[in-house]
Amino acid sequence: MAKSKDKEVTNSETKIKIKTRISFKTSFKKYWQLYVLLLIPIVYFLVFKYGPMEYIITAFKKYKMNTSVWDMGWAVNKKKETDILFHFKEAFQDKLFLKALKNTIVLNFLDLLVGFPAPIIFALILNELVFKKFKKTVQTIAYMPHFLSWVIIYSLSLKVFATDDGILNMLITKLGGEAVPFLTNETLWVVTYVFLGVWQNFGWGSIVYLAAIAGINPELYEAASVDGAGRFKKMWHITLPGIKPTIVVLLIMNLGNILGGGFDRPYALQNSMVLDKAEVISTYVYKKGILGAKYELTTAVGLFQSLVGVAFLLTANFISRKLGERGIW
Amino acid sequence: MKKVLALLLALCMILSLAACTKDDGESTPTPAQNNDTTTPAQSNNNDTTTKTPDPTPTDIPVVEIEDKDEIKELTNGQLVDGKFPETKHITVEVYDRNGGTPANDNMYTDFIKKGMLEKYNVEVEFIAVDRWSEVEQINNLLASEDAPDICYSYSFPTIQSYADKDGILDMSEYLTDEYKGLFPNLWNWLGTAGINYRKNPQDGTIIAIEGKRNATERIVTFVRKDWLDKLGIAAPTTTQQFEDMLVAFKNNAETLLGSDAGKLICYAVTEDVGWTAAGLIESKIDPNISDKDQYVYGFDDRRFTIPGTKEAVRILNKWYNQGLLWNDFALYGSGDTTLDDYLKAGYVGAYTQNYDLVFRNGEEGINYTLSQLVGPDAKFVAIDPFEDSNGNHTKYLYSAVGSDRKIFFPATNKEPLACMLYLDFISDAANVEYLQIGDEGITHTKDANGVVYIQAADDDHASARPNSSYNIDLTMTTNGLRLASDELTIKSMAYGYANVDPEDVVNAINVSLNDAKYPTSIDLGTIDSEASVGDTLTSYQRAAFDKSVAAPVADFDSVWDSAMADYLAAGGQDIIDERLEKWTEAYGNATMLP
Repeated sequence: MAKSKDKEVTNSETKIKIKTRISFKTSFKKYWQLYVLLLIPIVYFLVFKYGPMEYIITAFKKYKMNTSVWDMGWAVNKKKETDILFHFKEAFQDKLFLKALKNTIVLNFLDLLVGFPAPIIFALILNELVFKKFKKTVQTIAYMPHFLSWVIIYSLSLKVFATDDGILNMLITKLGGEAVPFLTNETLWVVTYVFLGVWQNFGWGSIVYLAAIAGINPELYEAASVDGAGRFKKMWHITLPGIKPTIVVLLIMNLGNILGGGFDRPYALQNSMVLDKAEVISTYVYKKGILGAKYELTTAVGLFQSLVGVAFLLTANFISRKLGERGIW
Repeated sequence: MKKVLALLLALCMILSLAACTKDDGESTPTPAQNNDTTTPAQSNNNDTTTKTPDPTPTDIPVVEIEDKDEIKELTNGQLVDGKFPETKHITVEVYDRNGGTPANDNMYTDFIKKGMLEKYNVEVEFIAVDRWSEVEQINNLLASEDAPDICYSYSFPTIQSYADKDGILDMSEYLTDEYKGLFPNLWNWLGTAGINYRKNPQDGTIIAIEGKRNATERIVTFVRKDWLDKLGIAAPTTTQQFEDMLVAFKNNAETLLGSDAGKLICYAVTEDVGWTAAGLIESKIDPNISDKDQYVYGFDDRRFTIPGTKEAVRILNKWYNQGLLWNDFALYGSGDTTLDDYLKAGYVGAYTQNYDLVFRNGEEGINYTLSQLVGPDAKFVAIDPFEDSNGNHTKYLYSAVGSDRKIFFPATNKEPLACMLYLDFISDAANVEYLQIGDEGITHTKDANGVVYIQAADDDHASARPNSSYNIDLTMTTNGLRLASDELTIKSMAYGYANVDPEDVVNAINVSLNDAKYPTSIDLGTIDSEASVGDTLTSYQRAAFDKSVAAPVADFDSVWDSAMADYLAAGGQDIIDERLEKWTEAYGNATMLP
């Protein structure tokens, strides 16, 4: 009897072992279509993302056009001595780079502070709307700015915020107030910048949250209603916890971008009066790199930016997992 | 399995994030910023260091090689019977000024294409580049190795930066004495002065040759004649009178503009302060400025670092705070047409610009549109209001050589010989004349003495409307009217603009020449630090000017000083140091040229 029992156990153990240790071969045979599909993004990344990375070495070299990046000489400092870290030193001694670095962090942080909760709040509000038609209309209108390029938004902002002939200032002066330099005063520019960012993105950003909300089990709400929970209680205790994983993932991804951010928004919105606050890394890189033909310096800056981005991403992910959330992988 | 997949995907994502951030530097720029409808030169090209005194000395005329066999031998068989045996294809940059016809497709480009194909068997394709953001665009084209085979730009530092990276072709191979006879028109027009202007004294390389200005008139200040008459004010001849006039405009806004009084701009200084207030700035520069100061501080073409400029901006700052300038000037960069529209609509009292700007563009011209929209009396006339410390009206002219476009071949150019032949073709006096004045009876008429009267082409000949006046962007080696004789040219200048009173043109020319001087000519070789900043300094210079003009009066000094510090930190100081060193090396402690 005892023997046969033993056998059974071994049997079930082997069964489990087989289940967990499917070899790549078997798995490939079974799911080969998926692997083939995976090939497409992998090739894409290899060709368009990893291939160009060869040029990261530019950061340590003296750049020459028409020369393979491997054949270029190492970077030289002002005394013409080889110094492969010269361009990094140059960047960190450049007052303007440090200014751009600071501005990037400040603007991205403000964006995160104001711009990150905005779509969540909007999604929560939309979720509470009862009239379907009204909800759909509001949604569509809120999505629209997402499809406008920053150049167009800049032109629109001129018509609204300009000191002399902006609609807002015309209104203010008609009401007896003083015209407000929304676009040329440094502090007000930052406010306008953040505001326009939120305006463009809160509708589109809410889509993800709305989808997450739709996935919450309606029975939870019913149960809460039975227990006597009101709208706010339900929002707080069911909706928000329900979309928490989504929020965490998006937050982590946003944190990874704290030194990044797009080029077109700051570039389109900045003007010479507010450059002290408006010059960010991407515009600095464009001006120094393309207009000033300093590829090495700006590649060094880009590399630094990427490394910090990855570090932020990993740290945020680590913390999130420590706090018991899922993280992004 | 799932884990492996997830890890792979995650890895892809992180690395793509990293790659994305890296890519930023190469994004295409948005066109919204940094352009100005009406600025001529847009970069830190130094017109204070002209090599040759004006007018340029004449070289011994170059004689064309007639013998086809000799040509064949000279070019190692590239040219047979004077032309390429196989059709060559070259691309050529042309500025787009949004004039009457598309810059790269009109009667004149067809003329060149046909001429080049017949004469040399070279097919020409024109690439239009926006005039008002040309430096930015040419930088982008060079960076992406897409630049046309023949490029020109006002920014020499840009060319220098790319030459430093082996991105520019050395033209000296074809600019030798043996080849002279193959390009007689080029040599006879530009001379050694223009062709060797940028020649590197150490290794003899030539990365760019200088186009030549046939008209060196530069700037004047324009004012609304009808407003002066209406308010009974005489044309101001001092800075104080000019200020009083602006105040009078402001106080009489209702009289001048009626219900549009709120739109009044007394003096339209734009985002490019150094250009649109150049008259005032130049009047505040010491008229006896030493050659050393000119050389050391005069590299910025807006004279930003020259002592005296700050005092001019202080005056602008005062005016800004009195409401005499344009509140939103900093919001509209070059290329934006807002100010043009305001000028044409009649909201602007005074502004400083190229001596002929209000006359240009025929039926779309500023003065012509103004007369149509506001009334027959409404027009801008040139005045001479800014006096210097000697009581004169000092202003700078363009130097004939060194201040115009620099023509260069990027390293991607595979047909340098065909391109050199193109430059010769475009310098041929007969071709230049045709491109400038077009067909008789359509775009001009001539009187018995041969004086040329420009007229607007009618709708049947729409393709004959030039994109720029006199097609100066197609005649890249020539800027300004150039007829068979200098005498005819001068006589015809007043009639060079359709729908304009010739007397106004003569007046503007006279004002622009009054007490005017050429920039001093000093050349002590290449300045390496200028190459390493490229065009970066321009944006800091603009920011410094703009912030200082719009600062509260009490903060003016601190704003100016900190903006100047930024500019110097961005590379300005290195240039000053290097120039100072070069000067000391050459002239020791002397402050003037020997």
